[in-house]
Order: sequence, then C-alpha cells, then structure tokens
Amino acid sequence: MDKCIACGLCAQKCPKKVDDEFNMGLSKRKAIYIKYGQSVPLKYAIDPENCIYLTRGKCRACEKFCPTGAINFDDKEEIIQLNVGAIITAPGFKPFDPSILDSYAYDKIPDVVTSLEYERLLSAGGPYMGHLVRPSDEQEPKKIAWIQCVGSRDTNKCSNEFCSSVCCMYAIKQALVTKEHLSGDTELKQSIFYMDIRTHGKEFERYYEDAKEKGVEFVRARPHTLEPGKDNRGVIIRYVDEDGNVINDEYDMVVLSVGLEAPKGAKDLSNIMGFDLDEYNFAKTSSFNTVQTSKKGIYVTGAFGGPKDIPQAVTEASTAAAEAAKLLSKARGTLTKKKTYPKEIDVTCEKPRIGVIICSCGINISNVVDVKELVEFAKTLPNVEYVENTMFSCSTDTQYLIIEKIKEYNLNRLVVAACTPRTHEPLFQETLRDAGLNEFLVEMANIRNQNSWVHQNDPKAATEKAKDQIKMAIAKATLNSPLKRLKIKVNQKALVIGGGVSGIVSALTLANLGYECILIEKHSKLGGNAWNLETTYKKEKIRPWLNAQINRVENHPKIEVLKNTELKEVTGTIGNFEAKVQSGDEIRNIGFGAAIVCVGATEYKPTEYLYGEDPRVLTSFEFEAKLREKIIAPEKINSVVFIQCVGSRDKERPYCSRVCCTHTMEKAIRLKEKNPDLQVFVLYRDIRTYGTREKLYKKARDLGVIFIRYTLSNKPEVRLENGDLVVLTTDPIIKLPVKIHADYLCLASAIIPTNNIEISDLFKLSKNTDGFINEAHPKLRPVDATTDGVFLAGLCNYPKSIDESIAQAEAAAGRASIILSKDYMELDAIKSFVSDNCDGCGLCVDVCPYSALSIVEIQDQDGTIKKRISADPALCKGCGLCEATCPKGGILVHGFTLDQIEAQIQTLLAN
Amino acid sequence: MAQEIIELGTQKKSFFKDKVMELLPDGGNLNACLTCGACASGCPASGLEDMDPRKFLRLAALGMDDIITSTPWVWMCSMCQRCIYVCPMKINIPQLVYYAREAWPRENRPTGILKSCDIALKNDTCSAMGASEEDFQFVVEDVLEEYRASQPEFAEMKAPVNQKGATFFLNQNSREPVTEPDEMVPLWKILHMVGADWTYGTKGWAAENYCMFLADDKSWEHIVRTKAKAVEDLGCKVWLNTE
Repeated sequence: MDKCIACGLCAQKCPKKVDDEFNMGLSKRKAIYIKYGQSVPLKYAIDPENCIYLTRGKCRACEKFCPTGAINFDDKEEIIQLNVGAIITAPGFKPFDPSILDSYAYDKIPDVVTSLEYERLLSAGGPYMGHLVRPSDEQEPKKIAWIQCVGSRDTNKCSNEFCSSVCCMYAIKQALVTKEHLSGDTELKQSIFYMDIRTHGKEFERYYEDAKEKGVEFVRARPHTLEPGKDNRGVIIRYVDEDGNVINDEYDMVVLSVGLEAPKGAKDLSNIMGFDLDEYNFAKTSSFNTVQTSKKGIYVTGAFGGPKDIPQAVTEASTAAAEAAKLLSKARGTLTKKKTYPKEIDVTCEKPRIGVIICSCGINISNVVDVKELVEFAKTLPNVEYVENTMFSCSTDTQYLIIEKIKEYNLNRLVVAACTPRTHEPLFQETLRDAGLNEFLVEMANIRNQNSWVHQNDPKAATEKAKDQIKMAIAKATLNSPLKRLKIKVNQKALVIGGGVSGIVSALTLANLGYECILIEKHSKLGGNAWNLETTYKKEKIRPWLNAQINRVENHPKIEVLKNTELKEVTGTIGNFEAKVQSGDEIRNIGFGAAIVCVGATEYKPTEYLYGEDPRVLTSFEFEAKLREKIIAPEKINSVVFIQCVGSRDKERPYCSRVCCTHTMEKAIRLKEKNPDLQVFVLYRDIRTYGTREKLYKKARDLGVIFIRYTLSNKPEVRLENGDLVVLTTDPIIKLPVKIHADYLCLASAIIPTNNIEISDLFKLSKNTDGFINEAHPKLRPVDATTDGVFLAGLCNYPKSIDESIAQAEAAAGRASIILSKDYMELDAIKSFVSDNCDGCGLCVDVCPYSALSIVEIQDQDGTIKKRISADPALCKGCGLCEATCPKGGILVHGFTLDQIEAQIQTLLAN
Repeated sequence: MAQEIIELGTQKKSFFKDKVMELLPDGGNLNACLTCGACASGCPASGLEDMDPRKFLRLAALGMDDIITSTPWVWMCSMCQRCIYVCPMKINIPQLVYYAREAWPRENRPTGILKSCDIALKNDTCSAMGASEEDFQFVVEDVLEEYRASQPEFAEMKAPVNQKGATFFLNQNSREPVTEPDEMVPLWKILHMVGADWTYGTKGWAAENYCMFLADDKSWEHIVRTKAKAVEDLGCKVWLNTE
C-alpha cells in the first residue's frame, strides 16, 4: 500500500468492469478501484470477488502496468489486536430498500429512483458529472416528484414505525439544487408528496418557506401506485388531493425519499460487544446519556443511535469523544509522543533561493495542463534554483525529496503549484519545519481546483494560466519573511454561564475530565426550564435525575457554583479570558481559558386564543404544573384541546420550536392513560415527532387522540359561549366546521431566545435573525461559537429537547477540554500589524469584525503624544479588512502585505 | 352533507367507529390514520358520491355516524382491499365499510345485490341468477359435446358433474353457464391438459356470494354452508373457488 501513488494506470488497464456501488450502480468501476475520489489514504484496492486473476488465476494486467510495483495479490485481511479503554461505535445506517414496496415499482420503472441514487445523479463526481438526466433515456427531466416517508412511518410493508428525521430536508435540498443544475430557462415543475413536512432544525423552516417561494410544490398526499409512462419512460402518479379531487399526473421521474434503518450488522455488533438494541435495532441509549450503550465503556454515535441529521451526528461525535475521554482521563497524555524539529535557520539576510514543485496530481492536473512546459517555464524565473514535477506532491516520498533538495540547493523559499492551501498548506509548512525552515516561507499556486478542474476544455489556455499562477506565487514567495506564531499560556479553567441542564452537564463533564470550572447562574436555583418538564420522550422521569445532577454539581470539588450571579464584562481571548461577575453587590474577577454559554431560553407568552383572559387557557408549562399539582384532574374532565405552533412558524418567528409536538404527545398520552374517556384534540400544522419520537404520535392516535390540521391562513378560533370555552376549526379532510367544547386549552407556545443579547455582546458572538446564538459552522462545528474558545449548549443555540441539550453540553465540554488540556497555545501568525504610516484615524477600527483594533496614544521620539492603532494579535483573524480600508498603508497583515500583493499584480501585468 | 357543524368535546358518545373497533383484531387500526390519503389515491371508488376511503374514515373518527351509516358510497366499494394494501398503518377500512352496510335496513340495500342474494337462497345451486341443477348439468354437457366434436385435439376432454371422490370440486360464476357458456371452456382445457381429477357438482356450483356483499351475515353463512356441504357430499379433497 505504501508504494501506491494512485496514478490510476492499474484501473485504466484492468479489463474487468463492475457496478460502482458508490454511484448506486449507476456507473461502472474496475475490479481495481478507489471507492470514491476523496478516500484517505488515496490508494487503489483490489476487489477480490471480481478480480479476474484472484477468481480465475489469469490476467495480472495491473501488475504489468503499475509503475511503482505496488500490486500485491497476496495482501489479505489481517486480524489486529488492540488494547483500548473505550470503544466508540459509528457504523451509520442502512438506506431503506424500496423494492419490497411493489406498488412503487422501483424495480420495474427505470425513472423511479431512490433519493441516494438521485444524489449521485446530481453530484459533479457522479455518473453524469452533475448533468442531471433521467435513467430511461438520459434526457433532462423537467418534471420531478418526490415521495416522502418511503420506508419510514410505515408499519404495514415494513416495521419502521419511526420517522427518519432527515428526508424532508434532503428532499427540499434536492429540489432546490435541481433548479441550479438544469440548463438555462427550463420550465421546471417539482412536487413533494408528503404527510407532514418536518423542518424542525435551525434555519430549516426558512429553507422550506424559501423553497415554496421558489415554486417547489408541496402536495399533502400519498400516491398509491406508480405506473410507467409510455415506452416505460416517465412515471404516472394518481393521487387524491386534500379537496378530494382525483388527479392523474405524469412526471419525468420520481424520487423515493427512502428512510434510515439500523445498519446491516447491528445485531452482530451488539452481540459481539454485548450491548442492547432497541425495538428498531438502533443502539439503546438513555435520554440522560445519549451516547452510552448498555455496556460501560462502549459508546455509540451517529445514526446507529437513531435517525439524525449531520449537525446532530457531529455534535454527538464530540459527545462520545468527551464520554470516552472522561472514562480515560487518568490515562490522558500517557501514550502521546511529542514531535521535535531541527533548529530554525535564519534566512532573513539571505538572497531568496526558491524551489518550485509542480504537481501532476495523478492525472488531475497533467491531463489538462502541460506540466513539462511549466517546469521549463519556472526555471526561467528570477530566484528559482530548483524545479521538479512530481506525481503527487503531497505523498510522503515527495516530502523527503523536498527536504533533501532544500539542503542540496540551499533553498530558503518553496513554491508548490498543486491544489488548495486550505487542505494542503499545513503539510508543506510541516515539511519546511522538518527541513529547518520557517513554515511561512512556503507559497502555493492552486493549478488544480482553480485551473485544471475548471478549464478541461481548453488545455492551452489552462497551461498559460498556470504559468501566470506560478509566476505570481514566486513573486510573492520572494517577499515572504519568517513569521512567529503567538504563544499564549492557557488558563486551564472553564467558565460555564447558565445553570440549567446544559450548564450543569457542561460543568460536570469538564470537572470529570479533570478541569476546574466555575458555573454561574443568575437565579437562586439551578435546573432552569427542566423543572417544568415531567418526562423525557423515552418516559424517564426528569426531576429525580435533575436533583441528583444538581447535588453532584454543587458538591464537586472541581466546580464552584455561583448563584444569583451575572456576567458583567469579558476581555481576553481563547486560552486566556478575564471576566467580571457580579453576585449581589460583590464584583469578582475570574480568569478562564474557555467558556461554555448555556443561557437558555424562555417559553413564549401567547397574545391570542384568550390566553390571559380565561384561566382555562394555559401554556404548555402552566398546564404541566397544574397537572403535577393535581389542580387539573384528568378523571374529572371531558375534553382537552391542544393548539400547536403558538408563536412558532409565523411571520414574526419563522422557526419551528422543535419540542412542542413531542411535549404535546407526552401530555396527551398521560391524559388518555389516566382517563380513556377523556377526549383529547390536537390542532396542528405538521406533526414533527422526528426520529423515534414518532412512536409517541402513533401511541396518541391509538389511544384515540384526535388530530385536526389547520393552516396559518385558517387558524383556530377560541371563544366563550355561555361561559363554555369553545374552539372552532375546520377539518381539512371533510371540509366541515368543527366546534370543540374544551375544559382546558393548552397552547404549545414557542421557545424564545430572551437571554442572548447581553451574552453575545460580551463575547462578540453572532446570532441568527431569530436571536439564537450561532454555531461556527452548522454542520462541521455545531457546538463552537463564532468566537474562538467559546462553546454553546442548549436552548440559547436553538430549541432542542433535554436529551439533545445534554448531548450538546457534553460535546461543548469535550471541545473546550481540547483547549484546556494544553499548557500553551499557538495562534496563527497571519495577523494584522501597525506600520509607521498609521496616524490613528481609526477607519480600520470600524470595519474590524473581531474588535481586534483600538486607538491608543503613544509618545513620539520627540516627546509628542499622538494617536495610533493597536492590534490585538489574539483577537485578529487576519481577514485583511483593515489593510484594504486603510488609505495610507498604516495597517498590514503578515503574509499578505501590500508589497507582496503588489509584486503579484506587477508580475502578472509585466507582459 | 347532512350536518352543518361537527360538535365535539361534550359528554362522550359511543361512536359507530368504536363499536366496529371492538369487533376487529387490533381494532382494525382504525384510530391510527395519518390522513395521508394513500387509500384514496388507489381506491377505484374515490370521488364517487363525493366520498373516498380517507373521508369515510375521517367522518367515522369525528363521530359523523349519520353520514357513515347512510352514504350510498359504501355500496360502491368493491372490497378489493387496495386501501389496506398500501396503508402505512394497515387500517382495515373495508371492514368499516362492511359494518356500515350492515347498518342499513335490509330492504333499503341496493336492489341488485339484495335480489341476487335472495335468489341464491332459494335453491341449493346457490346461483344468484336462479339457474337450476338440471339446467346447469345440461349446459355443461351440451357445451362439452360441441367442443369435443369441433376441436379434435380436445376429443377426450371431460367436464364431469357429481363425480364422487374427485380431487377438485370446481365452482363457476352463474353468469357463465347462463349467459356466456363458452367462457367455461378455457378452464376445462387447462384442467384437461394438466390431467386434473375434478368435478362440478349440481349442488353449490355457483361461485358468487351476493349475500356477503349485502352484509347479510346469516344468509352469507347459509350460502357458504350449502356450498361446503356439496363439496363434502361428493367427498372431494379441494374446493376450487373461482370467484
């Protein structure tokens, strides 16, 4: 495997064609192959079931052509024994196979595809290079339908009672992406056939509304049977709309939004490891520890714990890592090795001597750009001492080559013409350090992503462009100077703001990971909103658990709890913050290296449906409290009505509050179980009991709870009739007005972010338009705030259930511990610095998004006081807005100075 | 529709739907409806009488028993069960339809079905068209004669009647011997080609059972028992029901 340079010759010569499983069988691969372009390590593998030599003893074509002798037919699987203290299982899910649903004729109609196949059809790396065509005749489809809940929420044809949680969003995404893929002014019709649209994630509801505005049609109907169109092309759908009209419509293709099932080997894995599965074969966990399996030390993350989307899965990945780290905290650092580098050579006074590496990237670059011509060209450029073309400049052997040549030619600068610095610059920086050079003496020219990948049709012009790119990189590298990274001492202590469930769990996790922390809570009692909840969706009682956690947090030797305390001021940066907190009249200074913000949110107080006017109209929390205090006695009343989405999903708050549907189900079930004759009505817009919460919706229906759908344009009306509380609505199926006499009306009111303004100002955190604190990246960094060293958990980030808050809190603590585990932290060296040209005008201060700049007074050599800008390197992110704004060259960014940028432009314009 | 407004939440009345649920295994899942409309999308009777299976079940769920027990739509349901087949909750709507039919006074039920049931009850052939034992036997023998003569390759074909101890007892919808006798022959040919040991019976030979569609349980039972007895009397092992 070490010898393979992934040049692709073997696959080119291999005579055996096999269905490509990565492209869902829509295209072919060879018997020697890479699974997909982004695999790491990028090495070809032989598929023993299809290899002609391994199955029939003849061929060996790949071996003949491999330039590095990397083919080894005897390479077999090995059993490796590892000693570990914890195991995290992440086997993912299995997409539902729709061929068992004969009425959808997935096996018979070519233009009926699964959502995963459609995803490949849309993908630039897919069988049609991102040009969307339908399978029957490879023509561009103009009319596409999605059918939701295929293999989800179905106990008839399969036993998947649960909701797969992600299909509504991916169908909407596919519809919107399709618009971008189809050519020109195509008149496109896209219909999504659904039961409930479940866009319960952050910003999802807006996405849904946007899709509606862009013309995606949402049809609340479930087709019965799919019939082939003429000549088995296209698909005919017969359905009945909500007005009862029978509609026959022909689509160019139909996408089945298939659900997520437990992975294939779930049972085997659970048997081998000795943990339990739930009734759907997902790993069984509790709401209070969503990653802990029934066996201590074995954790689960991702869809194996139940269907979930990427943000949730990535959050849980950090949760599982934190849990494992907690278990192994005593052994932390015992197996780590520290890398040493040779002493850095001072090159500041040397004349630039530049080495240039020109990468072929297999054939990625060289099949478009003439790399040999580039080599000859580079040799002619000033200061260039050495030029080489390599197959893969990122391969390990090339790194050795670079080090060797740096020494041989006394090189003091390196230019790599290859791919993007985003992914590969750190590698070459490391190589420079290994060669004894400062890591900032490398420059990259992206002749792949910005050239060969986009100019495939014009190799000549692409080669000329590559020359320009190389020329510019060399001009810039000539002016590169060694930079030092800022090193700060880490204060290995955390501050947790907010003492609700998220704060409590964050603090306990940090403490159990071995870090001291301070938990501040503005009220006199810990626990927050959780006191208002009775059970989790898995029916675990919340109060006993909460009491136990509070007890633990208040008695933990590593945790200091400050109640009736508020945060007043924050200074400093990642690794080294300072805060002022106020408890009563007392103000205290606290130093900490990382913070977790868990300031929670509040239940919205409705302004409609007679709330506040009639004592029988209650919010969800109030209703729960009256039930607990036995003021509402289910056995003594006749009828309870719930209205969903009160204050959510409207113009003012265009987001879904995520938890209300599940909370209503819990209450409705409890009422029905206490008194089966009690009539319970739920007026809703879409029921959003995502994931295995769907079980509660099913149970509520089985118990006889009546669900009546309403729309925003036809909201229920609540009035008093002779002292009776009456709710009026219209049943959408039979179009008749319904009048319900209610003993109580429970309003499932929104979750509103009331506590976020001050905290986000103090830490400079960004919020979304609804006021929820933003994560640094919704998918890749779902628990990091936009300010380094600050993490998020719970409702302040977005409405979420208690199990999700707990998972996020543990994840946030885990992420924070990455900072706290270090004695010192190195920051990037690409930072702004002030030159003598600065006259302190302050223009840059206004544009800096990170508050890294301030105006200070300094004393000149002749004693006069003048104004000047001061840049805080710890806060600066090197974005360059200041440099671009300053009219005098008074503030610059290391590595991107005006001189360097000018040199690039001058070189480009030279001829 | 009959009622202008649906009034709910007052003292709970026992709905028609609840009574039906007590009669069915798992309550026929009648409460589990997601109102997705898969049933209506596939129902051949959707749109007739401004009704479809989803609406029908919804009316039942909201206690609109007057409409449920009076809509003529229940007689347009063909009991094909396409609705149950794809329903994600496997809801037994046809059974709800059946009990709704039962709620009709017998004399008000559709004349065609009612008369067909009544005629079938009159003689042991169970024929809804009133075909007698003698007529049936005559037609079978007459048609057989004709085919044996005109198609030499089937000169040996048989269509036995009342042959004791035959393996298969075959029945036949009355429509064929009465109005389209030639339609009986293809099946005879198949049975002849495979060498099956079969027979018709002069009693209980009519395959149709309008009493079932009439939702007249007693008469339905009588018809089934008469047919079963005919099979047993001839000592046949397998009853081939062609309906």
